[in-house]
Amino acid sequence: MIAEGLVVFLTLFGAILAVTQRNIVRALFGLGVALGGVALAFLLLNCPFVAAMEVLIYIGGITVALAFGVMLSSTGRIEPPEGAGRRALAAVTAVALFVALAVVIWTADFAQPASTVEPDWSVGYLGRFLLDRFNVVFELLSVVLLVAIIGAIAIAARYDSPDPTASEEDES
Amino acid sequence: MTVHGWVFFSLMLFALGLYAVLSRRNLIAILIGIELMLNAASINFIAFNRFVADDAAIGRIIVLFIIGLAAAEVAIALSIVLNVYRQRHEIDAEALDELKG
Amino acid sequence: MGYETLSLACVLAPLVGFAVALVGFRTRHNVAAAIATVSGGISVAAAAMLLVQMPHAVVEARWFTIGQTPIEFGILLDGKTIIMGGVVALITFLIQLYSVWYMKTDPGKGRFFAFLAFFEWSMLAFVFASSLLQTFIFWELVGLASFLLIGFWYEKPSAVAAAKKAFLMTRIGDVGLFIGLILLFRATNTLDLTQILGIFAPEGAPASIAPDRVELIALLLFVGVIGKSAQFPLHTWLPDAMEGPTPVSALLHSATMVAAGVFLVARLHPLFLDAPATMNLIVAVATFTALLSSTMAMVARDMKRILAFSSISQLGFMLMGLGAGSLFAGFFHLTTHAFFKALLFMTAGSYIHCAHSNDIVAIGRAGAARKLPVTTFGLLAGGLALAGIPPLAGFFSKEQIIGAMGHYPLFKTGAYVAAFLTAYYTFRMIFLIMRPNVDSAIESEAPHAEEHHAPHETWFLRVPILVLSLLAIGTGFLGGRIGHALGIEHVHEASIGAMAPAIIIALTGVVLAWLDFGRRGARQVGFIASVPAIQKILENRWYIDAVYNATIVRLAVGVARACFTTETRGLDGAADGVAYGTSGAGRIIARSHAGRFQSYVALAGVIVAALTLYIALR
Repeated sequence: MIAEGLVVFLTLFGAILAVTQRNIVRALFGLGVALGGVALAFLLLNCPFVAAMEVLIYIGGITVALAFGVMLSSTGRIEPPEGAGRRALAAVTAVALFVALAVVIWTADFAQPASTVEPDWSVGYLGRFLLDRFNVVFELLSVVLLVAIIGAIAIAARYDSPDPTASEEDES
Repeated sequence: MTVHGWVFFSLMLFALGLYAVLSRRNLIAILIGIELMLNAASINFIAFNRFVADDAAIGRIIVLFIIGLAAAEVAIALSIVLNVYRQRHEIDAEALDELKG
Repeated sequence: MGYETLSLACVLAPLVGFAVALVGFRTRHNVAAAIATVSGGISVAAAAMLLVQMPHAVVEARWFTIGQTPIEFGILLDGKTIIMGGVVALITFLIQLYSVWYMKTDPGKGRFFAFLAFFEWSMLAFVFASSLLQTFIFWELVGLASFLLIGFWYEKPSAVAAAKKAFLMTRIGDVGLFIGLILLFRATNTLDLTQILGIFAPEGAPASIAPDRVELIALLLFVGVIGKSAQFPLHTWLPDAMEGPTPVSALLHSATMVAAGVFLVARLHPLFLDAPATMNLIVAVATFTALLSSTMAMVARDMKRILAFSSISQLGFMLMGLGAGSLFAGFFHLTTHAFFKALLFMTAGSYIHCAHSNDIVAIGRAGAARKLPVTTFGLLAGGLALAGIPPLAGFFSKEQIIGAMGHYPLFKTGAYVAAFLTAYYTFRMIFLIMRPNVDSAIESEAPHAEEHHAPHETWFLRVPILVLSLLAIGTGFLGGRIGHALGIEHVHEASIGAMAPAIIIALTGVVLAWLDFGRRGARQVGFIASVPAIQKILENRWYIDAVYNATIVRLAVGVARACFTTETRGLDGAADGVAYGTSGAGRIIARSHAGRFQSYVALAGVIVAALTLYIALR
């Protein structure tokens, strides 16, 4: 119980950091903490492999990529504040959705599984699923990743301007 | 903790992420909010997987796919952000109002 | 030529003239005038031939059906319509000839002749109508023609006001007429004149219609007559109608249009005979109007106004005769009056044109009488006829009327007084024109010293005046033939002894006028001036106009203003408010389209939340 409480606290702390910090680097840091908390939550929920993947891909890949993005698009560290109206509207929407879904959850009855077979928590079982039942999805995912990377390169690539009079920016 | 507790936790994370998407002006900050929302969904799946699912693999597989797709999405989003920056030298969401009217 | 062709030609020729002149030749004035006059000539010729043939027939066609009753449209030919139609056609044609001279330099000449043709068509279609619906429609169209012609010089605000006043006042009467026609239709279930005249044939009303109902119908019809024929209390529009050109006054407001009311009573005389109470009322109102109007004519200085008051008074005489039960008396006087009144108006136009003033004193002092011999001859012929001096026509017709009023001793006395006043004011006018006394006590504008041209009389002026003078002198002797055409077998020919009072009274009036105005060195102010208070009342037309203005007109204008304010501020304001509100709301909502995607996402989030709650809580 204490562990779960700590994990929840950690994650929410990180999330709040990520959401409220004007300084984008601090926000990124908060994101990292939150993601770490999520990984710990996975651990507590008996999925160590997924926790490992979370750390690897999310914290190690995505957060780093976002950091690169921050680096390449820096306009100054402090972002100007949003208007109070916008924050109020955002808060209202978030709270509204939270309340709506909370009501749904509260009134829901989650039935316990009736199966007698003890679920298999091993990674091998997971792997067999990936190549067996979810084979197509697995392959599709790899195609999606490929397309995403190629697309990202295509969108972000700089093309040499055919107009000789235009000056070229040199950014890297 | 019961499944209800974990789901509430994921709802809170989701709400925080939504708040970030709706209220922040820096495009990267908006992306951070999106990531939080995706993680909230992942926690949801894993919690159900632990307490309700009859096969312990389903939730985990779904979360793996979520993580993978999140990565792809971040890649593309970042390239768009870079393009925007290159054209306007700023990444303020307020300035992107060409859909006006 | 068959009577069908003749009657259709008579009625429709002016319509064709009107349409052609108005559409094609409004700016080619002389062509328009020629076309209209030719159409008038065709009408006269056709009417003359009908007079000779005197058929009794109906030419009609079905228009539509109400329930079981067919409503027809057509031409009814009998003695009354043919005589009246002949009078209308003849006088209109003479007026058209006269207008060629009178309107020679007017820029709106083409329009004028077109409107005259329109009037002629409306009047003839009214006279020859075979169903009461047609009568009503053309009654209204005649009113429209009057409006158009009174306000012919539309740049003159007084003319526009007079046209409006005429139209509105006759409209008040028309309400009564319309209701009366509706009640008549409900009682008899037909609007066809032949059938209605058959129902109310002189034997008495059918038992199926209550006598009260007959009285009510007759009364309502008479209300319409009061409006159209300018009887008290709806008489004040006629003096003002003199704002129109003199040919209009001669044609519409003396001879024909105002006689439409009298003609209606004559047309429906069997119905009126079955409503004795209303007939008494008619006699009372008519006598009162005749007296009232003659008093006002006694002090008027504008020649056309004098003649207008005279017309009102003479219309009263006609209605007296009809109301007293004698169809012949009223109709005969209608015919003779048409001739001599149109004649007098023509002379007025000639004098006014010469002296550049309507004032009879100014006309006299301009020496117009000497300069215009044919006009003066017409003045004398018409004046003698109007005053009722034998052997001119007016005497015979007036005498018939007075003879018919044996049952109404009080009103008969009133009629005698009116006849006396008629002679007096007529000869006052004549003497002031013919024997002006420069040193007399009355003032007038000095006649224009410079004359553009010596006044002369063209043939377009002389011929109509001479023709009408002939008719004014001679029609009296046609009484027997007219009566025969009307279906009255024997005309009441009075003995000399019975005619004596009328002759004496008329001569007395002439003598008094001579004493006041005619003899050498007369003061020319009239005996009324010795009582200045009465003179003032008469000059102000008994203040009736003032009373109307202060009460009814002010009320109507107030209501109109309230409606106008409600319309512009209330209704228009509400409509504008809706428009502004909509565009304002649109502007507010357009702010949500600011192009910021975060607002779109927020909106989506809110909607999803709402839907989720709704589904969850159901």
